[in-house]
Amino acid sequence: MTALLERPASVADKPPRRRPARRWRHRLTVLSFMAPALLGIGVFFLYPLLAAVYFSFTRFDLLTVPRWVGLRNYTYLFTQDSVAGQAALNTVWFVLILVPARMLAALLTSMLLVSLKRGGGFFRTIFYLPALAPPVAATIAFVFLFNPATGPVNEVLSWFGVDGPLWFDSPDWSKPSLVLLGTWAVGDLMVIFLAALLDVPKPLYEAAAIDGANAWQRFWHVTFPSLSPVLVFAAVTGVIQTLQYFTQAAVAASVASGTATTGGGISSTFGYPENSTLTYPLHLYVSGFRYYDMGYANALAVVLFVVAFGVTVVLLRRFRAFTGGAR
Amino acid sequence: MSRRPCFAGTALAAAATLFLAACTPGTEASDDVAPSGQEAKGSIEFWHFFTDREAKAIDDAIAQFSDAHPDIDVRVTAGQDDAKMLQAISSGKGPDVGLSYSTDIVGKFCSSGAWRDLTPYIERDEIDLEQFPATVRSYTSYHDRRCAMPFLADVYGLYYNKTLLAQAGYTEPPKTMTELADMAKKLTKRAPDGTIEVAGYVPLLNFYEHTPQHIVPGWDAKWLTADEKSAIGTDPQWQAMLKWHKDLVDWYGYDNLQKFTAGLGDEWSADNAFHKGKLAMSVDGEYRVAFLTDQAPDVDFGTAPLPVADDQADRYGAGFVTGNVAGISANSKNPEASWALIEYLTTETGSIVGLSNAIKNVPTTSDALASPDLQVDEKFKVFLDIFEHPETSTTPPNASGPKYVEMAQEYVDGYLSGANKDLASGLADLDTRIDQALDLGR
Amino acid sequence: MTVTLPRRGTMVRESWLVVVARNSVAIAAAAIFVAPFLFVVLMSFMTSDQALTSNLWPTTWHPGNFVDIFTKMPMFDYLVNTMTYALLATGFMLLSSIPAAYALAKLKWRGSTAVFVVVICMMMLPPQVVTVPLYLMWSNAGLTGTLWPLILPMLVGDAFSIFLLRQFLMTIPGTVLDAARIDGCSEWQVLLRVVVPMAKPGIAATAIFQFFYAWNDYYGPLLYTSEDQANWTLSIALSQFKTLHHVEWNLVMAATLLVMAPVVIVFFFAQKAFVQGVTLTGVKG
Repeated sequence: MTALLERPASVADKPPRRRPARRWRHRLTVLSFMAPALLGIGVFFLYPLLAAVYFSFTRFDLLTVPRWVGLRNYTYLFTQDSVAGQAALNTVWFVLILVPARMLAALLTSMLLVSLKRGGGFFRTIFYLPALAPPVAATIAFVFLFNPATGPVNEVLSWFGVDGPLWFDSPDWSKPSLVLLGTWAVGDLMVIFLAALLDVPKPLYEAAAIDGANAWQRFWHVTFPSLSPVLVFAAVTGVIQTLQYFTQAAVAASVASGTATTGGGISSTFGYPENSTLTYPLHLYVSGFRYYDMGYANALAVVLFVVAFGVTVVLLRRFRAFTGGAR
Repeated sequence: MSRRPCFAGTALAAAATLFLAACTPGTEASDDVAPSGQEAKGSIEFWHFFTDREAKAIDDAIAQFSDAHPDIDVRVTAGQDDAKMLQAISSGKGPDVGLSYSTDIVGKFCSSGAWRDLTPYIERDEIDLEQFPATVRSYTSYHDRRCAMPFLADVYGLYYNKTLLAQAGYTEPPKTMTELADMAKKLTKRAPDGTIEVAGYVPLLNFYEHTPQHIVPGWDAKWLTADEKSAIGTDPQWQAMLKWHKDLVDWYGYDNLQKFTAGLGDEWSADNAFHKGKLAMSVDGEYRVAFLTDQAPDVDFGTAPLPVADDQADRYGAGFVTGNVAGISANSKNPEASWALIEYLTTETGSIVGLSNAIKNVPTTSDALASPDLQVDEKFKVFLDIFEHPETSTTPPNASGPKYVEMAQEYVDGYLSGANKDLASGLADLDTRIDQALDLGR
Repeated sequence: MTVTLPRRGTMVRESWLVVVARNSVAIAAAAIFVAPFLFVVLMSFMTSDQALTSNLWPTTWHPGNFVDIFTKMPMFDYLVNTMTYALLATGFMLLSSIPAAYALAKLKWRGSTAVFVVVICMMMLPPQVVTVPLYLMWSNAGLTGTLWPLILPMLVGDAFSIFLLRQFLMTIPGTVLDAARIDGCSEWQVLLRVVVPMAKPGIAATAIFQFFYAWNDYYGPLLYTSEDQANWTLSIALSQFKTLHHVEWNLVMAATLLVMAPVVIVFFFAQKAFVQGVTLTGVKG
């Protein structure tokens, strides 16, 4: 009805509504662009989510038909499986330590780069380089560097009379070692912060300087508020990434353990040492693809989904806040 | 319009769920067996896990089988592991005959029906199962369902470096745990700063082949009760065993041991610490004899059974055994020809002896063990004797596979590092957790 | 959003002492960032015997390691597998995701916001949540053990790529498109003749991300190919090098360098597009 009243606008801005035939043609055009993606959303997102919920109520081992077991998988998950608790705590540990550590490192390096008068491009490339190293390669390199017997790190520490820890071979140090790895590869986050820092309007600094603000006051009253949307965004996406933290923990465990008996399978060493690096997704993987408790693995998946979805909602709110709606 | 994609997705998901329900794998096999006296024929697919040099030995055995059964065509695929076999069977494909390196899968494959029950064939062809030791019989069946036949076996014992022992004044390997601990201490060499240079014996239970599985037979400690509950918390031998290890770990210092082992060469490389003279004594399988001969011919070593707990001197000579197992997939279209192959590979003396000589594993039948063609030197003989010892044992098969072993392993690592302190209550708690975990797999 | 370093002008005069201090900190930080690479390079030139000592500098240089990794293990096969995965996944992704990103960025239709939100949800979903059902689906299709379960889904769009491409396409002014439409172009012609040429840097960045993602991917190949060594990628092979091929750190580090090298080389050639892409993921998105 209102369509008649509308001003003819550009084709892109308004769907043409005057005649049904045209409307359908427009719909078909959109569909021709979107069809593969919509199929992908259905097959690789909506379907497996529903299927995961269904399987989480079954006992299923690949070899026999799924059997409905009601809430048993959830009962086991919440009241009996102490490894699941341990794995969840490991993941929470990474969320609480790894995310802030990376943000702090990114902030410091990007501010350092901004303050440099010359050579900024050179240092930016150097600082960014570790983020490029493939995670598996970087993790293996770190396990070698931190090898307590032959690695360079403890060797260098010993020059200063420090008896280095066991790093990836110690349940107390394995997670901090992974944090060092994540902090080393901070380049991607650094580049994002750098761009945001350069977006801070210069007149604000000038005004602050005229007011006699010192470096800390300039940071706290000018830089930080301008940066905070990016910081919040980085924190939320960091949490989501850390909820899926898998590769580095898996590779560090299998390389550091080094004792995999032949035929044990890749996943037999996950968590080494003493499940200290067994993150929640790793526990899910081991349950499903090492022990073939597929039903239980799906119960773990459903819980992970609920948590990740909660964080994503926060993200979406944020997203609207600083782009003025999703569009 | 805005609801369209959601709608489509939901409908699609619903359709897919139906589709999924319709074709989730189920394995049903009929147990029909042809009357005896008929010659099997046709083609079958055979998967095994061996590679390289060892795969060639398998090919030779298959060639001999083909000479004996010209009507059966065997297509061999090497280098296939258990996970792949399980995967293939679950999607309705996979080999007719599978050979696995691990007895872990027997419980799962028997109870789920992924491998056929072989009893009808065994009874029809009057196969004497007594030709296999009782332990071997036990690891090839589950809940009275015999779905696998033993192929070759791996037996674990003690390797000792004669040169290092002689330097410390020893001529004989230890027979009891106290002797082992004393000798381990005397044989250990440390640098002035306390760093271990040569270890008499590494008591960490996740080092090379030194794992709980391989050493519990020395203590006669039990894994599971008859009704498949964890026995670890109630069997006092577990506590004795773990305390012995903890004492020795503390003598070395846990961190010192970790640093020492982190700097050792890979177990399967030529840099294995025993090859390099960095270990005076070490637990390993019979195959290490061949590795040493091949990669470190200068090492003067001896082999012996595992030492036993001090009060169990009469059990000296027993050890841990595990083996390769072969079975017929539920999907097999030609179980008769498959059975012919399994029967040949697992009971034909000439074939077993040939394979054992080629890859230096322990043969499983009494005829093959007694065969004059079997190449045996004194170092290998030790393992044949362990194999035939009545007290030699293995980890019991379970429908959840290796889960209970790995849960115990994880607890033990924590106990030796000092993280888990109260042993008795810790093991009791482990019992509960294992029982619950095994229950989940039922 | 190009990252050029600022000339903040002369408003804050800094003493040369502060400048020296800053540069010293930068040099120290650079040393820390570079040191791991240096040690890896040194180790990759050692002999196996030296690899088991705590020496930092090779006593004899042994470049033969870089030959050994190809002769002692099927490194070339792993390389071919990884290339196949990365190239096909990238190509398929572009085919399916560019049109979707265009529809989401530049076409008005009811529901586009909802679909875009779903795309973001999909992008944020931990892959482990849907792992088991998808694995069963590919198992029923008989494709587990191969890399196809990782390649084929790219034909129906990749959430992250759609998202990133959309962010790029949003920056193209609508007037240019309208001009093309007035000239009688259909929407597909607008996309192919106007948008794609204009969005080349964005498309390049997205393609590079997808290529790197596949090159670095560990979880996917672990899930689908861990049981079939013939289809392993470099990531999986590398993680299993030591235990599988029974080698020492020197060879592992030589292989590690080999896996890092292409990524670093691509980066130096496409640095600008790459940095722009990283920035867009964080600031606008």
